[in-house]
Amino acid sequence: MRLLRRLRRGQVLLLLVSLGVLVLMMLWKPYALIEGLQRGGLYALIALPMALILGVVGIINLAHGEFMMLGAYFAYWLGVYTGLDPLVAMIPALVAFALLGAATYLLTIRRALKAPELNQLLLTFGVAMVGAEFANLMWTSQPLKPHLSYVYSSMTLGKLRFGAYAFVYTVSAIVLLVLLSLFLRRTRLGRAALAVGQNPRGAKLVGIDINRTYLAIFSLSIALVGAIGAMFLTRNSVFPSAGSPYTMKSFCLIALAGIGNLPSVVWGGFGLGIAEALVLSFRGYGGWADVVFFAVLVAVILGRSYRRQTA
Amino acid sequence: MRIARYVPYLVGAAVAATFPLFSGAYLEQVAGATLIYLTLALSWDMLLRSGQLGFGTAGFFGLGSYAAVLLFLNVGVQPFVSIIFGGIVAGVVALLLGLAVLRLRGMYFAITTLALAGIFAVVLRNFPSLTGGAEGKMLPSCIFSGDTANVYWLILVVAVMTIVISEVFERTRIHVALTSIRNDERVAKSSGVNVFKYLVFVFAVTSAIQGIAGGVYAHVFGFVSPEGSFSANFLLLPLAMALLGGIHSTWGPVIGALVLGALSEYLKLQIPYGHLLVYGAIIVVVILFLPQGLSGAARAWRGRSHAARGAR
Repeated sequence: MRLLRRLRRGQVLLLLVSLGVLVLMMLWKPYALIEGLQRGGLYALIALPMALILGVVGIINLAHGEFMMLGAYFAYWLGVYTGLDPLVAMIPALVAFALLGAATYLLTIRRALKAPELNQLLLTFGVAMVGAEFANLMWTSQPLKPHLSYVYSSMTLGKLRFGAYAFVYTVSAIVLLVLLSLFLRRTRLGRAALAVGQNPRGAKLVGIDINRTYLAIFSLSIALVGAIGAMFLTRNSVFPSAGSPYTMKSFCLIALAGIGNLPSVVWGGFGLGIAEALVLSFRGYGGWADVVFFAVLVAVILGRSYRRQTA
Repeated sequence: MRIARYVPYLVGAAVAATFPLFSGAYLEQVAGATLIYLTLALSWDMLLRSGQLGFGTAGFFGLGSYAAVLLFLNVGVQPFVSIIFGGIVAGVVALLLGLAVLRLRGMYFAITTLALAGIFAVVLRNFPSLTGGAEGKMLPSCIFSGDTANVYWLILVVAVMTIVISEVFERTRIHVALTSIRNDERVAKSSGVNVFKYLVFVFAVTSAIQGIAGGVYAHVFGFVSPEGSFSANFLLLPLAMALLGGIHSTWGPVIGALVLGALSEYLKLQIPYGHLLVYGAIIVVVILFLPQGLSGAARAWRGRSHAARGAR
């Protein structure tokens, strides 16, 4: 009971501190705050499906970013051949990548479920390399980007004038978080997935088909990240190695949040997005922004391991 | 009978040492590149024997490259001294990072080390006055003025040293300590193995080897750059080689490196763009169907034929 109260107090403190930081940022560097929320939205959006796989299937999918990259290529070529807008292409991408995810699961992941964790890591690393090099083989390393006029829309707020389109990532991240939470709490499959994630053997004992749950969750996650790739394409160009940084950043967010904690992935994404944008806003030090994620990750994990040792 | 056991090793050593005498510059270059990858594959496996999956191979390789080239350019020492310096820098950095990172296990350790190449590249790019920024640095001339036979012998020395270190690790108490950590860390700890000390030691030694390989590579090709020196190839190829040959041994990665090194030249000519697809596929297929690699499959096959003979 006392632990619970202390936890609550800690959370209130955290909320107050983050609110304070937000207000300070708004006064000091409003553009960094806006840019950070947009960036952080994209990071959180991409990390959520990975968190789903890790929480339920218990496998870290190192090919996550590569599926996102392939989704972006899918939307690009669909746009070239049929003139479909990337945002519309998200729907066919959802279907196509659900199938791709199911195929990947059945051909590779399923066979490694009982293997040691290191083998699973190596396996998904190999899948990632196959994905990236497949893109390299098919479309070379030339960056591709469709021309879309609506992404340059801007809005004015008081004295600030900024690009409004990229808030689509921020909004989508929150929408996806809400939808996934509803899915996990309210639907039959979602509840089964939660149960399997907590204890596969127990879930099996109460009559849940584990293998089918794994297949469904893996396909769902890859379908989502493929569609997110199409959305990614509206603001970024796509090339074979475009995905791998997002695998890393997604993992960082999940490790920060703790496995199975979806809301914290989103808040962590916003926090680190703002931190990156803040570093970028200092002229001449922008190159250091790429280190922010890992500095925070290593600090948090080490802090946790020390606390565990002293406790 | 006892001498006969050493014949394959002696023949292999003789062929390796005299290779430039009966081959041309092209083959020497191919063999040199293969031996660099062999060194990386073996050093990666040496850490894996402790149960820690490191993805930092490319990071320490690049770090060694940069350290060697920068010392050579700015202080003007002998190339050999600068290569050893590259190894020392990679080893010391690994030692310091290891004190923190080796508290992590499993996927946390793997992904943190995977990030190292990116972090090192960012740090080096952000000191353009010293490191040449995104363009990197060129050497005025390559080592041995580019003579491929001497280059080959230099790389051979590095590769043989790595094999020797690996065998020392396999035949001393280090082997027992690392294997017990891999099998069950808690049991190892309660049997009096200083787990953390051994892990830091192995991490530093293997990273120093990777740094030396990077220094040699940089001197052979005469340049360093953030993209080239930290390329994912220096992670992907060694992994595929060690896995194909068979992990947790000295000769598995060696065999894998020789097989794939020869194959890679053929593939490069056949598929100039994206020939690395094959390596990714090899990793996937080996993990799924041949987790002990070629040497493990050979051992199993030999064991079966032994058993069949015994039954008869």
